[in-house]
Amino acid sequence: MALERLNLTVSDGEFLILVGPSGCGKSTALRLTAGLDKPTSGEIRIGGTVVNGLAPGQRDIAMVFQNYALYPHMSVYRNLAYGLRQRRTPRAEIERRVRETAELLQISELLDRKPGQLSGGQRQRVAMGRALVRKPQAFLLDEPLSNLDAKLRNQVRGDLKRLHRELPITSIYVTHDQVEAMTLGDRLCVMSKGEVQQIGTTDDIYNRPANTFVAAFMGSPPMNLVPAVIRSGILHIGGAAVTAVASPNGPVTVGVRPEHLQLHSAYADGMVPARVDFVEPLGSHVLVTALVDVRDDSLPGTAAQTRVIVQAPAGNDWESGTRIGLVMPPERTYFFDAETGDARRSRERISL
Amino acid sequence: MPEDAPARRPFVVLRGLGRGESVTGWALVSPAVVLIGVFGLLPVLMSLQLSFQKSDLLTPETPWVGLENYRKLADDPVFVEAIKHTIIYTALFVPGTMLVGLFVAAALNRSVRFISVYRTAAYITMAVSTISQGIIFLWLTDRDYGLVNAALNAVGAPSQPFLASPSQALYVIVAMTIWGWTGFSVIVYLAALQGVPAELHEAAAIDGASAATRFRTITVPLLGPANLFLVVWLTINALQLFDEVYATTRGGPLRATTVIVYYLWDRAFVQFDAGYAAAMAYALFVVILVITAVQFRLARKHVHTS
Amino acid sequence: MTKLQLSDVAAAPVPTLAHSDAPPAPPARRRRWLPFSPWHLVLIPLTFLLIVPLLWMLVTSLETEGEANRFPPVLLPERPRFENYSEAWAAAPFGHFFLNSALVTLVVLLSNLVVCSLAGYAFARIRFLGRGALFVTLMATLMVPFQVTMIPVFLIVKWFGDNVWAGLGIDHIGALMLPNLATAFGIFFLRQFFQTVPVELEEAARVDGTSRLGVLFKIVLPLSLPALSTLAALTVLTSWNDFLWPLIVITSHDQMTIPLGLSYFQGAHRVKWPLLMAANVMSLLPMLLVFVGAQRYFVQSVASTGLKG
Repeated sequence: MALERLNLTVSDGEFLILVGPSGCGKSTALRLTAGLDKPTSGEIRIGGTVVNGLAPGQRDIAMVFQNYALYPHMSVYRNLAYGLRQRRTPRAEIERRVRETAELLQISELLDRKPGQLSGGQRQRVAMGRALVRKPQAFLLDEPLSNLDAKLRNQVRGDLKRLHRELPITSIYVTHDQVEAMTLGDRLCVMSKGEVQQIGTTDDIYNRPANTFVAAFMGSPPMNLVPAVIRSGILHIGGAAVTAVASPNGPVTVGVRPEHLQLHSAYADGMVPARVDFVEPLGSHVLVTALVDVRDDSLPGTAAQTRVIVQAPAGNDWESGTRIGLVMPPERTYFFDAETGDARRSRERISL
Repeated sequence: MPEDAPARRPFVVLRGLGRGESVTGWALVSPAVVLIGVFGLLPVLMSLQLSFQKSDLLTPETPWVGLENYRKLADDPVFVEAIKHTIIYTALFVPGTMLVGLFVAAALNRSVRFISVYRTAAYITMAVSTISQGIIFLWLTDRDYGLVNAALNAVGAPSQPFLASPSQALYVIVAMTIWGWTGFSVIVYLAALQGVPAELHEAAAIDGASAATRFRTITVPLLGPANLFLVVWLTINALQLFDEVYATTRGGPLRATTVIVYYLWDRAFVQFDAGYAAAMAYALFVVILVITAVQFRLARKHVHTS
Repeated sequence: MTKLQLSDVAAAPVPTLAHSDAPPAPPARRRRWLPFSPWHLVLIPLTFLLIVPLLWMLVTSLETEGEANRFPPVLLPERPRFENYSEAWAAAPFGHFFLNSALVTLVVLLSNLVVCSLAGYAFARIRFLGRGALFVTLMATLMVPFQVTMIPVFLIVKWFGDNVWAGLGIDHIGALMLPNLATAFGIFFLRQFFQTVPVELEEAARVDGTSRLGVLFKIVLPLSLPALSTLAALTVLTSWNDFLWPLIVITSHDQMTIPLGLSYFQGAHRVKWPLLMAANVMSLLPMLLVFVGAQRYFVQSVASTGLKG
């Protein structure tokens, strides 16, 4: 199934982002809301009305497509006016609204041109304009920035945020880019394989991930996830005792983000032993990729080592093979069920 | 040499796209040049020369007659009739084939089960030779035993002479050739319809346009290039109608279906008046060129090309 | 206040059929009335109408003369009379007709593929003196209608027959092959396709040591099979169904191609409709089979020229 039982609520004026890898069902959810595809079960409401039986044109929604879908044989003006004309809006009203929207998006000089004569960024704005001019109840955006080059994308992201502040229309925005998701959304809905993994604000998603998928998907570089075992109340990684934890014994997945993990050149007891693989300098900091031994008799079938990324201050360099120690700060260490990947409900405090 | 290696000498990837390649280039094109030159270009010149001569294709003596052939054309009532018939034929055939093709293609532009079977059936008229078409339609429209007259009688209409009638024959040939060219027309339109991105339909649907409105305002305007191609191609072919006339009426009855190329062929290869025929052909050639040029001019103004 | 709400929504993956008419909002209701799409009710009669002439031809070819000469017509013969076919075959040298058509088509096909590939490649990838002007001149021949060239080509072919080899001259199948050994269309079509093959592939091959022409045979041609097949389909169809030129050049029965032979048969057995239809079916069958088998390439040939104008 492209979508398993999806339950999603968007508040009035909210900007909700559906984010996830390709095939996760986010575009499907958007198209169902638009009425371009039909659900096999379930109910969709817009503004309180059930819209399952309504054609897209009757749902009072507007959509911005990834490839813009501008009518190539019509001028920008007629592209913007098309939806209004279908609703028999009087000519003067159309004129007013089109010019107003064009002004807002700074495309007033382009009204007489055809889409083929516009740049990618201009086309994107016309696509936005076509949706905005109809003042719909809801705004559906399907990866509208993915066809723009990186620089333009950053700029348009800012424009979008400002636009939503000025015109807070209820919106669902689909993207696979987690940076876009985290910066643009009031709330995020992380999806994978047709199911919702977690819904929440950027802060919720980033700092309180519900499972290993969300933890690893959001954040770049991703959170380090390491298989470990708790024996007699002590956390063991690769056989080495790390610290005491107040958590049931058994296998567990431990997660720490690269920027929270602390790197010590000299290994000491209680640290996680590791060996440097390579260092990537990034100007403001460096990323050290290290190998951690995770072999444990209680964890049959796990690989011998796992890679871990640590963020360290700039200017440092370590030779490949150097033995180092890693420290996991208690308030930034996450525990996930080793089998299901779900976050353990209470974050266990570790005593060092 | 090993010591020289990369640091010293830049690694030249492609040598000489300059004149060094001319020999190779000409060698490769020479068979085509010879063949097309002899059978494509030379005849154009020969035809012009022939049009100023009197020739019967057999005797080597071909006296020069200047512009007399062209002058005879203007006074030739059969020629004038042939032009009239060709124009009527073209004016009916071209829009007819396009409309039928568009209609059938629109019906075929969906993904139900067995759609490929339906499409094959629509395309297949393309493979039927003109002679076969002629024979089939002679039989279908037979005055006494034809299926069409049987159908007409069944709904109370009287039998028609069809191809045996001077007033009806040309129109029957129009219908017959529309049938024969439908496959071609459907292929062009279907490709054009499928070339309209589904997203445009979706965007228009979200904008509130009904299926009919979408067809009218989005699909049809985007068919411009296909329309242009068909108009030009079908017109050129219509002006050269021959096979189907030969297979059915041989230009009759009473010259009712004599079209230009038929008359030309008749003059050149049955009556052995080749010089005159050449003059006729040349005059027509000029007309076709003018018509095609006009079509392209009009198109550039009105047809949207992306 | 909630604006948008999805409750317990599930959806099956939508198969991305490349070219479907996007019907974004047919109400689900319709599905429950019929077990199949209502479009079948339109498509079936429509396609039936289109092929009814062919079906009627087939039916008539299996009737007796008595059955055919009945009005209103018999819709199905009592007993299919397959003897019509053997009689038709015997009544005219169909064996010769088929052989001639096959030979002519084969030679024309091979010649076109070879000559147009060489020339098309040269025009696409080799810069030589006069390339532009030569290309335009050759393409100009596409604008010239057959009626202008048919008389002089007759004379040229006659000259070949008298001075080079009789087999190339009037009333021999060589004359059917000669003027069609290369077409400007073939060159245009292949040149266009060769230009879409990434130059980097050829350059990489030459860096690896392939010769200038080797690139054509080892890299470009193998990648051009779709285009070559498309051109082949079109050439076969045009050559096989050609009528006017054979009519002009051939008079002896044993040199006739199928369309011409069929026309001769028609002249000899004008009102023996079942016999004539049987002959017609036999004549049509090869090209129909080829068409159905290679349909993809025929469609491509038309669609690609149509949309590039």
